[in-house]
Amino acid sequence: MERAIIHLNIADFAVAVERNLDPRLRQRPLIIAPEGAARATVYDMSEEAYQAGVRKGMPLRRARRRCPDARLVPPHPPLYGQVMRALIRQAKPYSPLIEPGEADGHLFVDVTGTSRLFGPPVDVAWRLRRQAAADLDLTPIWAVGPNKLVAKVATRLVKPDGEYVVDAGEERAFLAPRPLVLVPGIEREDLIRLRDFNFSRAGQVAHLRREELQIPFGNRAGYLYDAVRGIDPSPVRALGARPPQIVRHHTFENDAHAPAALEGALYTLVEQAGRTLRNQRLAARRVSVRLGFSDGLVRVRQQGVRPATANDLVLFTRARTALYQAWHRRVRIRHLDLICDRLTYPPAQQALFPADRRARRRRTQLVAAMDAIRDRFGPAAIKVGRTLAA
Amino acid sequence: MTNIIPLTVRSHYSLMHGTASVQTICRAARQMGYDRLALTDTDNLYGLWPFLAACRREGLTPIVGAEISAPGTRRRGIGLVENAEGYRNLCRLLTRRHLAPDFRLETDLPPLAEGLTVLTADVDLLERWHAAGVRVVAAMPRRPLSAAHPLRVAAARRGVPVVATPDSFGVHSDDHSQHRLLRAIAHRTTRSRLDDTDTAPADAWLAPPQIYAQRFAPCPQALEATHAVAKRLTFTGPAFGIIMPPWADARGRSAHEALRAAAYRGAARRYGRELPEPVVERLEHELRIVAKMGFCAYFLIVRDIVRHSPRICGRGSGAASLIAYCLQITNVCPLKHNLYFERFLNPGRQDPPDIDVDFAWDERDGVQQAVLAQFSGHAAMVCNHVLFQPRLAVRETAKVYGLTEGEIARVTKRLPWYWRLESPATELLDAVQARPEARALDFPPPWPEILSRAQRLVGTPRHLAVHSGGVVITPEPIDTYVPVERAPKGVPVIQWEKDATEDAGLVKIDLLGNRSLAVIRDAVANLRANGEDFDEERWAPEDDFATQQTVGQGQTMGCFYIESPAMRLLQQKAGVGDFEHLVIHSSIIRPAANDFIQEYLRRLHGAPWDPIHPLLADVLNETFGIMVYQEDVSRAAVALAGFAHAEADRLRKVMSKKDREFDLQDFRTRFFAGARTRRIPADTIRAIWEMMMSFSGYSFCKPHSASYAQVSFQAAYLKVHHPAAFMAAVISNQGGFYSTFAYVSEARRLGLVIRPPDVNRSDERWHGGQAALRVGLMAVKGLSAATRRRLIAARRQAAFEDPADFFERVRPDADEGRALIHSGALDRLAPEANRAALMWSLACWQHRRAPAARQGRLFAPPPERRRPRFPHEDPLTRLRHEFAVLGFLCGRHPMTLYRTMLENGGALAAVELASCLGRRVRFGGWLVTGKVVHTKHGEPMEFLTFEDETGIVETTFFPAVYHRFCHMLDRGRPYLLSGRVEQDWGAVTLTVTQVSALPPLRSLARETAARADRPLRKKQPTARAFGPGTG
Repeated sequence: MERAIIHLNIADFAVAVERNLDPRLRQRPLIIAPEGAARATVYDMSEEAYQAGVRKGMPLRRARRRCPDARLVPPHPPLYGQVMRALIRQAKPYSPLIEPGEADGHLFVDVTGTSRLFGPPVDVAWRLRRQAAADLDLTPIWAVGPNKLVAKVATRLVKPDGEYVVDAGEERAFLAPRPLVLVPGIEREDLIRLRDFNFSRAGQVAHLRREELQIPFGNRAGYLYDAVRGIDPSPVRALGARPPQIVRHHTFENDAHAPAALEGALYTLVEQAGRTLRNQRLAARRVSVRLGFSDGLVRVRQQGVRPATANDLVLFTRARTALYQAWHRRVRIRHLDLICDRLTYPPAQQALFPADRRARRRRTQLVAAMDAIRDRFGPAAIKVGRTLAA
Repeated sequence: MTNIIPLTVRSHYSLMHGTASVQTICRAARQMGYDRLALTDTDNLYGLWPFLAACRREGLTPIVGAEISAPGTRRRGIGLVENAEGYRNLCRLLTRRHLAPDFRLETDLPPLAEGLTVLTADVDLLERWHAAGVRVVAAMPRRPLSAAHPLRVAAARRGVPVVATPDSFGVHSDDHSQHRLLRAIAHRTTRSRLDDTDTAPADAWLAPPQIYAQRFAPCPQALEATHAVAKRLTFTGPAFGIIMPPWADARGRSAHEALRAAAYRGAARRYGRELPEPVVERLEHELRIVAKMGFCAYFLIVRDIVRHSPRICGRGSGAASLIAYCLQITNVCPLKHNLYFERFLNPGRQDPPDIDVDFAWDERDGVQQAVLAQFSGHAAMVCNHVLFQPRLAVRETAKVYGLTEGEIARVTKRLPWYWRLESPATELLDAVQARPEARALDFPPPWPEILSRAQRLVGTPRHLAVHSGGVVITPEPIDTYVPVERAPKGVPVIQWEKDATEDAGLVKIDLLGNRSLAVIRDAVANLRANGEDFDEERWAPEDDFATQQTVGQGQTMGCFYIESPAMRLLQQKAGVGDFEHLVIHSSIIRPAANDFIQEYLRRLHGAPWDPIHPLLADVLNETFGIMVYQEDVSRAAVALAGFAHAEADRLRKVMSKKDREFDLQDFRTRFFAGARTRRIPADTIRAIWEMMMSFSGYSFCKPHSASYAQVSFQAAYLKVHHPAAFMAAVISNQGGFYSTFAYVSEARRLGLVIRPPDVNRSDERWHGGQAALRVGLMAVKGLSAATRRRLIAARRQAAFEDPADFFERVRPDADEGRALIHSGALDRLAPEANRAALMWSLACWQHRRAPAARQGRLFAPPPERRRPRFPHEDPLTRLRHEFAVLGFLCGRHPMTLYRTMLENGGALAAVELASCLGRRVRFGGWLVTGKVVHTKHGEPMEFLTFEDETGIVETTFFPAVYHRFCHMLDRGRPYLLSGRVEQDWGAVTLTVTQVSALPPLRSLARETAARADRPLRKKQPTARAFGPGTG
């Protein structure tokens, strides 16, 4: 059956959300980046700032030099997540197959075979756009295509505003004149190799047969062969298709390297994750710590938790082991993430020896008492000493 | 109450442990009231001579010693020297500690303990050594031990004295955090994760005697025992006198006889059978003095060493000696060029002679190895103590604070490599912020803390390195004079750097590397390979008129010592290119001598002048009354202030040292006093002293300049008469003043064609043919030496027929293959195909040899697939690729690609500037090199060299303009400049007022680029931007 995929793409998503919040931001170029942090990088920027040479991930200082008249706003990721969820909510009535990006204003909606219910995909896309404009004051670019790849190229093409429809069977013709940089999944390395053969547009590569591509590109040939022809069988993944996990992030305002600061922050994350687990009556069988170093290197280490638990004290000892396994360099640390997964229901089995039982009971009681205090007086009402060091 | 005598004190020469310099320690010790002091650094005597000097200065009695560690354990013994025998033993023990792979402290020490008092805090070592008859003393570091402690019990049982020791790593309680910083750097960790077992206790610093008296109040006998121990330590430093290398004759002649015979034999070769009268007179005179001073053996040893290579350049004051000339140690005839022997040796001086010899840079290591092997056990290299410079200090400290490479580089790349703070009191942070290059930076926490910590690190020794050329040869085994270590590259090194070596009286022979000797060697070899006859025996380049003319026009890019922009401008301004003037020029061009250069040019061009004082008239007559040579300093001191020769010579030496302030003050006072007694007016004295100070840091003596000028002339001669062979040799030897890019442009301006690399024709190195240069394979970036060797070897068997044949036999890896294709080296293997087609061949070959393709292959490999159709090649992209791989373009200067853009903007070409004197112009050029200098007021400014396809333009960025634009100026990029064309003594320069960056080649848009596939309207490629004729 012919597939029909809608790609919604809100250009400069974070900028759009911020400008909605404060219309005064609309008159001037806008850069979104954390203020006050020692070495902030650009989180997102408006089209004007982009034209002036500002790019995502660029050091803020350089960005400001390139675009001195830009307004600067700190990022609000929870807010963007909220808008994203609202967007998803609007799309939900049309399909169970909705694949959002990570709070970046991108959304794939698979509306294959829904014409009888909702009308042609183009109408659905229009409706989604109108809805977003009415309820969220956002104007997504949209494209309808026979697969995700084509739909995405189409929205990239009309950025910053517009719409595009590619019919089934037209993929190859549509892609042929497009620069290869527009095609998602063709990485920098691929582009350099393609340039060696004087390729700059998708259509030029599409002249080659699969076996021919295989010679210079080896394993990548299959992907390239399909991509330049607009072939993309990958499904739109349904919401919630990923196994459940609880993730908590911490970003150090100034990059940290003191063990006390890291352990303090880690404990805070453990408390947050533990609380979520306990509220959901779940327990984790594995904790992972992900360290993001100042220079962008990321390292993850995992520890099994047996028996599964939601107790902060137990989770912390395992998480701390993972932390020191991951922490092998002296470069400072910017991001610290805690991931609890392999979730299960808390084990009913008691410990074998009385001493263990006692210790476990006391740990449970301690955490329960702290939960109770926090429920009543707020999360800051009681703190563990080591979190004060952070 | 008895004061403690500190018997274990470590300085920062206990590398990456100690924090204080020996000067700081000695000053602090005197202020605290000590009058004797030991220096006991771990496993070394690095600081011995600075320590002895500092003790002299502070009025302390030194105790010489060292801590010896047992490898891999925490056990230590401290050897304190009682007498000369003990000193020799300590040197040998430390040498064993570094060189013997099976060194064991407990058994290796006793045989070498004669003349040593050994301290230890280790019970086991104490007992063993006592049993072995070592004079051993129990040490209680920092605090008293209880009487029941095993150490005290063992000491009491054996009747061994127990002493209190400071066991210090610094001189102040603050030093502990610095110590922790050093440990963190050494362990490559952060301070917060540093293990306590890796650091000294917090009280391990040298405290005032009162504190030890308090601490050791429970056992005052430990303090008294330090006096008893110290009483035996009468040794206050070695007194070797001057130690000459030994020379023995196979035929049993004395060194004097052998030298006389060798000198006359050599003279006959240099001057012919019938020696002219002046030669004989001079030889006899020199032989008399040399014999009187006992330096005959030294000359013979140096002669033996230079025999290792046919092409050397003896330099330094030794070039003033006719003996050296006759022995082929130097190549400048001292009679012809008026070099006075007394500048080298005279009986009034006590210090050893100093002959430095340059070898071709790639032969030098071999010569050193041969010398070290010949005198094995009696020879070693001098070392360098590598100190933390600001850049390294900031970098290492920042790493301890967990900053990333990028964050660190942002700051450090704005610091100069060797940068001494104006005064120690200057805050590093302020100093950095004061630099205009750092204007775009700010310093959020933790930078202020990092910089203040790094500041204290500056000047701390980091590790040992090998001095570039100094070899010491001794008559007795060398490890009885000084401890010897082995450098990472395998050669033995002594533990002292060159100043300490000199203080000790060890005579060092400098065997240095010189690229230009290799350039001349290779250029001559290139000519011979081309079948040209080149007679070196009768070669007198300094008498060649064309060469003199080129030198006088400053067209000497690539020529040894006279290729820098400053030197070329000086040559242009002077407009004379004969040998005598070149000798003056290569000496006068010193950083601090700008005013004198201007004055020199004025006088050279005919301005009248009077000697600065009649007493100096004779001394400075040949240099227009201006001090030019290093020895002019000492001669002026003798003539004006009545200094003795030896004293004047010390003044000259002190000026070239790093920390000279202390001694210099003293000399200044004496100079002024001496000159006043001769009724010289005060302001004349001051002017002369100032002129003398312009020699500080860096200056040449006349014989040295003459030696170098000789090499310069050889290079210039080759450049004039054999430009292709010469430029090929310059580029192949690398390491010249300019980049390969700039040399390629120069070659093109000389009218040479640059032929692209070619796998069937290019050698590893560049080759000069008939009016053409063939690019060598070494120019292809990313091509490994192994692949290059494979390529040459495969080609020797048979020329490559086609790309497939090439890949099959050379087996480059993917990136190497791509680099070769982009460089154009494979173009001739498939003349009809473009580079995409070559890429296809490469991919096919790789595909065929991939393991997956080979597996299960029963029959012959499939033939190369028919090549698919690839899009047309864009000429600009092709050039970009070529530039990325080679760093230059073979067919054209990259500025030609900007020509349309520049002409639309009204910019001129380099050749046109000379006709616009005094006018404001715009000029687009490629930034080739530059040099930052400081004005009298300490403001930085820069002289930058730009070029386009028609010529070179020297520009001046005065402080205000430099301040505005310095942060955007990077080498190897094009810029559009605006400014005024100026002229000084015929040299044309551009004084820049405005700069804007042109897009780099990689992002030059196709529309704006000039037609890349077609050469532009031809401008005279050989025409020069300037020269006397064009002004």
